[in-house]
Amino acid sequence: MTVGTRPRRVTRVTGAASAALRSTLESPRRPARVLAAFPLAVYLEVRSETEPHVIAVVTGEASRLPNAVVLTEPLDGLSSGDEGWAGDGTVGIGGLEVGVRRWWDPAPPLGAADPVRLPAALAVLDAIGARSPRRPGLDPAGAPALLARGCLSGSLVDGVTAAEGLIGLGPGLTPSGDDMLSGLLVTLRHLGRAADAPGAVRLADWLAAAVTYDARTRTTPISATLLHCAAHGQAGPEVLGVLRGVAGLQALEPAVHRLLRLGHTSGADMLLGIRIGLSAVIAEAAPSEAAPSEAVMSGKERS
Amino acid sequence: MNDLVEVRAGVYRDSVSLMRVSRALTARPWVSVALVAMATALNVEMARDLGFAVPGTATPGDLLVAIRAGSADELADAAADLERHLAERGSAAGSGGARTEGARPGGTLPRTVRSAARTAQASAAPATPATLALVSVPGEHAFAEAMDAVAAGLSVMIFSDNMPIEQEILLKDRARERGVLVMGPDCGTAVIGGAGLGFANVLRPGPVGVVAASGTGAQQVTSLLDLAGVGVGHVLGVGGRDLSAEVGGRSTIQALRALDADPATELIVLISKPPAPEVARAVRDLSLTKPIVAALLGPGQDDLTAAAAKVLSTLGVPVPGWPHWPAPRPLSGGGPLRGLYCGGTLCTEAELITRAMPARETAEFTDFGADEYTRGRAHPMIDPALRLEALAAVDRGVVLLDVVLGHGADPDPAASLAPGLARAAARGVAAVVALVGTDGDPQGLRAQAARLNEAGAAVFTSNAAAARHAARLAVPLTGGAV
Amino acid sequence: MTLSMLNGEPHVITVGAEILGEALDRQAVPRTGVDWRPPMAGVAADVLAGVLADPRRERANETAVGRLVSARPRLVGVRPAREVLGLEPGTFFHAGPPITWDRASGPMRGALIGAMLFEGLARTPEEAEAALAAATGPDGGAGSGRGVTLDSCHHHRTVGPMAGVVSPSMWMLEVADDEHGGTAYCSLNEGLGKVLRYGAYGPEVIDRLRWMGEVLGPVLRAALERCGPIDLRSLTAQALQMGDELHNRNRAATSLLVREIAPAVVEAAPDRAAEVLRFINGNDHFFLNAGMAAAKVSADAARNVPGSSLVVAMARNGTDFGIQISGLGDRWFTGPAGVPDGLYLGAYGPADANPDIGDSTITETTGLGGFAMAAAPAIVRFVGGDVADAVTATTSMYEITLAEHPAYQIPGLGFRGTPVGIDVTLVARTGLLPVVNTGIAGRVAGTGQVGAGLVSPPAEAFTTALEALAGALNSP
Repeated sequence: MTVGTRPRRVTRVTGAASAALRSTLESPRRPARVLAAFPLAVYLEVRSETEPHVIAVVTGEASRLPNAVVLTEPLDGLSSGDEGWAGDGTVGIGGLEVGVRRWWDPAPPLGAADPVRLPAALAVLDAIGARSPRRPGLDPAGAPALLARGCLSGSLVDGVTAAEGLIGLGPGLTPSGDDMLSGLLVTLRHLGRAADAPGAVRLADWLAAAVTYDARTRTTPISATLLHCAAHGQAGPEVLGVLRGVAGLQALEPAVHRLLRLGHTSGADMLLGIRIGLSAVIAEAAPSEAAPSEAVMSGKERS
Repeated sequence: MNDLVEVRAGVYRDSVSLMRVSRALTARPWVSVALVAMATALNVEMARDLGFAVPGTATPGDLLVAIRAGSADELADAAADLERHLAERGSAAGSGGARTEGARPGGTLPRTVRSAARTAQASAAPATPATLALVSVPGEHAFAEAMDAVAAGLSVMIFSDNMPIEQEILLKDRARERGVLVMGPDCGTAVIGGAGLGFANVLRPGPVGVVAASGTGAQQVTSLLDLAGVGVGHVLGVGGRDLSAEVGGRSTIQALRALDADPATELIVLISKPPAPEVARAVRDLSLTKPIVAALLGPGQDDLTAAAAKVLSTLGVPVPGWPHWPAPRPLSGGGPLRGLYCGGTLCTEAELITRAMPARETAEFTDFGADEYTRGRAHPMIDPALRLEALAAVDRGVVLLDVVLGHGADPDPAASLAPGLARAAARGVAAVVALVGTDGDPQGLRAQAARLNEAGAAVFTSNAAAARHAARLAVPLTGGAV
Repeated sequence: MTLSMLNGEPHVITVGAEILGEALDRQAVPRTGVDWRPPMAGVAADVLAGVLADPRRERANETAVGRLVSARPRLVGVRPAREVLGLEPGTFFHAGPPITWDRASGPMRGALIGAMLFEGLARTPEEAEAALAAATGPDGGAGSGRGVTLDSCHHHRTVGPMAGVVSPSMWMLEVADDEHGGTAYCSLNEGLGKVLRYGAYGPEVIDRLRWMGEVLGPVLRAALERCGPIDLRSLTAQALQMGDELHNRNRAATSLLVREIAPAVVEAAPDRAAEVLRFINGNDHFFLNAGMAAAKVSADAARNVPGSSLVVAMARNGTDFGIQISGLGDRWFTGPAGVPDGLYLGAYGPADANPDIGDSTITETTGLGGFAMAAAPAIVRFVGGDVADAVTATTSMYEITLAEHPAYQIPGLGFRGTPVGIDVTLVARTGLLPVVNTGIAGRVAGTGQVGAGLVSPPAEAFTTALEALAGALNSP
């Protein structure tokens, strides 16, 4: 490691930012630090109480997280520990100064989804989930099954208890438990609204409050920020694509396979969360004809 | 005299890029003339009139270079500079960074939209397949490229103008069959999922969808909404002729239906000059499920600012006071009103407003974006020269100008305009500026406003407010209080 | 209605002013840039737009190119021309668009003289020349008995390399299209050196033709009867993956053909097998003629689709380069044949070269030859450069073609299908002319081959075809 100050020329670039970052970026400039640097993505932690406090600066080839600023240029020469800032309309990392020329919506509404089509969509998700070699990082029979039962029975206490147990559970930058909760929260919020199931939206509110309350102390900073985003229904295009598929707005199966390709287990973890959420939405949208996912309920799947 | 004359066979660059090169070379000291243009009959004649010995072999498919400098050394420097500019432009053709997916093995770029669509469709994840095409080739050649897009199942924005109307109608009919939208021809503004195409502002995403036959009209409404904190999902341009009786609102109807079906859109704004009566009827008969706010610029209609306010109240959002910056020194009143505009719709709006106001000496408006001023030169939103000349010629009374920010516009309009405004103020001319833009725009709304304001102008983010203010100023002092 | 572009991340194709594309780059909008140029000189914008607006065009082109690439050519027989083409004594077919003696170039004249001698219609070259000078076209001289008649091979489901002269006693390869039922013919390849197709007509040329008629043809016919039809589509596909582009390089295809047919040759004619196989092995281009007949039968399947702007023939007679268009029947659109640019044999140079000649451009018409250059790195020096140039040549042809061949693939391009199906409108729009690989004939009759290289078709063949397409719209 080099000691001392490296004289650096500032390179000004521009990109497209998630609208979730609007308030963080419009605030007065605050210092930040690079948490992790990869060839396609750099995670910048901003010293701030407000969320999202981690900004993902990514190239177009990377997965577009809901807290991302997407650049055209490649990300070179950045490493963890580099100093930076965010605010006054720009993000700085190392020698890069990033301006925003486009804002995109990380939580586009689904519109109305016919509740009648949801059970068939759930069956597709279950079937692909069961077949896929991409397994979730957690044993579905453990805490996830408990969470599923809590959501289905409409028991807030069970749901919240199970959710709290899942925060930060598992290895990696985004632990499996968090990915699962993210999938669940986004599904409850979007499909609950789309299928006119206010109970599911209410459940999303409660779970979101419980999960975000002390996320920063329970899991990695990146994962905590993504949980905050999910609490607002904000997600990456892979998760949103599956929800659009469930709502009949695009082909479902390819969307599920795209999601499953994310990370080591992230995609499979999020899919598990989506399935639990979808079961709950179905139960809430048409309580009399509830057709809960047997697989998710019993946690029968191998891990 | 040191002349360089060259005809480069088969080298093509678009006219806007070449104008930028010519301008950069002319800006060098000791370069008296620099003409870098395609060797059309007109350009060749111009070069010969300037005394350049252009070879007779030049065809419109060749690049003509004609540079005159004070010394041989200067000429050599200018020539080297030219190479640099051309190389820069050449590499920019679709290689603007890592995300451009046109390049293929063999280093060739697609030569038609048809081929590009095939390339983009074939390119692997995570890159998305192409979703639309943006066509800005000369108007007589635009049909082929637009047709390619429609045939490939892509919507298309046609920035080019001068497309024959029967081609427009044909394209729009094919587009309807394919379930895609033709925006244009002569469509200057669109925003698709936050991406600004042509002249557009940096807008936050949100529940408002816009269908616009007028680009600057759409920019005014969406900028005001953004200033009020309300986001816009999509701005679908349709081209200035779409609501005429001949075209029959073909794209307007498509665009309205599409926004009505778009889950993210909660309210639709339609911006146009008053449509042909039968077209207005067809639009009314659409029976859409979402509320529509129409801004139809004509006598007795809402102005654009009023339409923006109506959108806000429909959404239950309080209407803010639109940001404005009063002139630093009180502007003297009286005298003729001179309107110098870039945006055609903004010009029309200002004219309608001032005509409806109490009598004044005279009012004369010029739209520098109109065809007769843009032939052979860039749009005034990029090249301010003509308008600056007109501003310098105003010696009394009130001058009213629009400044439009956003993508595609001059990166720093205040830089060229502020000195002219200051000199106008020194001549006793009262200047009022309608500044259309958002806080997210690359030029920075507030920084631009501050510099125009420091130059002595009263600055308004609402064109209607600016027009009213200017008209009131222009009323002779004896005629009433300002 | 729903518009797909309103969902998800936009990806924009930009064509025209660069500043608009650059503005998208600054917004990190994925885009594909188009390197646009004004249309080819001589193309009127309204003519082009008129043809592009034809409501039949898109479907018609899809149909036409679909037929071209789905053809299943098989070599089914070898028979004398008089038998299969009903060729009368005194009638000769030739390469390219129709031509008269007075306009014919050296090699074309030489080949016709040779054919007269071969058919016994003249005793000396001078006698042959005199009769040929009085020759008429197919309409003028019909049934006139002793007169000589010239006609284009293409008018008779036939193609011929270089001069492409076909006379009644020559033996023809017969290729049938299993998919669409067509048939096409091409003569047997004579080998290299002094040969008729390059305009040589000395005694050794005539002797070789006699041997081909007496031995080679009958033996091949008998062999084919034994081994059954040969699948030329599959053979071509394999040869492409073995370094042939099937116009200037046919080494792999010839080897594959020999492998298929050799046992049957031995069985059918044990006495003659050695000389027949030695003859075929001695000529790397033996397959070319079978490949040309296969290309011809495929291109013919795409003919006569109303509204289609697909090129179904490109051919040269040594004077004119002509093309035919699917939607325009048997009309030819021509321009002067150019002199190829390439490598010369021995002491020959450009001054010795004849303008472009032969029907072998039927290979380019069907996506082979110059269009498949990237498959044949071994011969890139013919086309003036290195492997990158070959890749560029093939890649640029995707810009003017309607499809990628489903069976003919190029390993070096990730097994992408060859560019196939030239569209006149795309040539006119891009100004990119088809890349043609070709042999170069000596200018003086009887010289033979002097080199090989690349040639560009004349632009006016394409611009006049485009005007004819526009004209056909106005007078249905």
